[in-house]
Amino acid sequence: MNQAVISCLHANLPALEAVLNDIEYLGIQNITCLGDLVGYGPQPNEVVELIREKGIQTCQGCWDEDIIDGLDACDCSYPSQLAEKRGHFAHQWTTDKLTNENKEFLASLPTSIRKDKCLFVHGSPNSQHEYLLPDMDAFAALERVEMSGAETLFCGHTHQPYIRELTNGSISFRIQNASSKGIQEQQGMDLPMRRIVNAGSVGEPRHGGIKATYVVYNDNTCEVEIREVSYDIERTCKSIIESGLPPIFAWRLINGFEFAEQAEDASHVCER
Amino acid sequence: MIERWALVSGLKGDLETYELIQRDLRKIPGDKTLFVLGDMIGPDRNCNRLLNRLINPISSDLKPQCIYGWWEEQLLAESGYRGNQKAEALRINGGEQVVNSLLSAVDKAYLSWLASLEFGFVELDCGLIHGSSRDVGDELSMTTPPLTFLDRLTRLNVNRLFTARSTHQFYWELTEAIVESDVMDLSGNRKQQQKIPKKIVIGIGAGKNYTLYDVGSDNTQFLQAGYQSKKGVKGFA
Repeated sequence: MNQAVISCLHANLPALEAVLNDIEYLGIQNITCLGDLVGYGPQPNEVVELIREKGIQTCQGCWDEDIIDGLDACDCSYPSQLAEKRGHFAHQWTTDKLTNENKEFLASLPTSIRKDKCLFVHGSPNSQHEYLLPDMDAFAALERVEMSGAETLFCGHTHQPYIRELTNGSISFRIQNASSKGIQEQQGMDLPMRRIVNAGSVGEPRHGGIKATYVVYNDNTCEVEIREVSYDIERTCKSIIESGLPPIFAWRLINGFEFAEQAEDASHVCER
Repeated sequence: MIERWALVSGLKGDLETYELIQRDLRKIPGDKTLFVLGDMIGPDRNCNRLLNRLINPISSDLKPQCIYGWWEEQLLAESGYRGNQKAEALRINGGEQVVNSLLSAVDKAYLSWLASLEFGFVELDCGLIHGSSRDVGDELSMTTPPLTFLDRLTRLNVNRLFTARSTHQFYWELTEAIVESDVMDLSGNRKQQQKIPKKIVIGIGAGKNYTLYDVGSDNTQFLQAGYQSKKGVKGFA
């Protein structure tokens, strides 16, 4: 059976509506959302309410968490002080706009959802703020999946959709403790095949294009398809300008600026 | 001149053991650096004398380079040095009484020094840390999964990782690791094979059990304070 996985909606209602239409067109009823319902975009309440109305299973993203608990990321999340300033402005704007009911909904979201051998998270099993980039160290990537007890890990946060398979792995090592008197035990193990699927971003694409992205997963064949969906970008941009949010948020949507607002060291895990 | 590192942890206020280790180190020839990888304090005894000695070494002491450990982290959190955090991990594990014992084991005058300590050191291609690059309380031991060892080494971008949190002395050496990665995104497919050469994680022990590392030969020796002069040391390359 096919299921859809969406992520990083970022209060972009036209994009979410277009993606939900595409999912409906494909006849898919099972949808999982990986969080970041709000932030950057102009319609946080409308997006949260649409997710609630549709009853879409959702885990909490870093923006959702920060709106509830206060800013939790250090300045490592931003590529420049200007970007950080804009991010903080958007945080405050969103906090002011969101209704208490919608805030309570965001606060109630789990940090992960497990379905059989699949785990759904926003950033990584360690943190909503950790980026699992497509070309990160393969062993570290494998560790994230394996230590979570899943075979396939679905994540978002990077806004770049990808499917990564980690196969034919092995580790050889020797081990000794203080009492083993020079005898070193040689061991080896084959590593299991594991997969990371990044759902991209519905409301804030950063893959170089301007279309919303999400993924369709077939739990019988394990096949994954990355979907790109056109939406009414001008409607979103107009709304960003009218709402008083920084105009660059509209500019980067309409230009598909690659890796906008991405920190230099995206593998860094914020400890705050 | 060959340089050796003496790696010590888990003294928990035990000045006598520290003096024994210093005495041992005086007998070892060559250049030496002493690293104290945290847990200088604990709840079971007054720690002020040891802290004073670490801060103000006597003339014959090897001057210690200290980082903070799990017990220091608990004390600093409870004393307001970690924002809104409190010593919740200790409270859960030991209860309120142990939290109070820890608070009374260390004079407040030492808090600012403890708060100034680093999380870890990176020397050459080696990481020296109390727990791991993930967390000061991360317990790496002989039973830790190999992928976890690799992750902790990768996070610090080091080839040798010295850890103390488990209190165990162990030596884990990766001889080879290999994995194939196939990434598919909107720009196409790319396949890659990643290989990792030799990397090592060393549990340095705690209290009287400490470790000597020879930087030049990559040789590790597990020692016990006051013991190696009587019997041969346990070492391996």
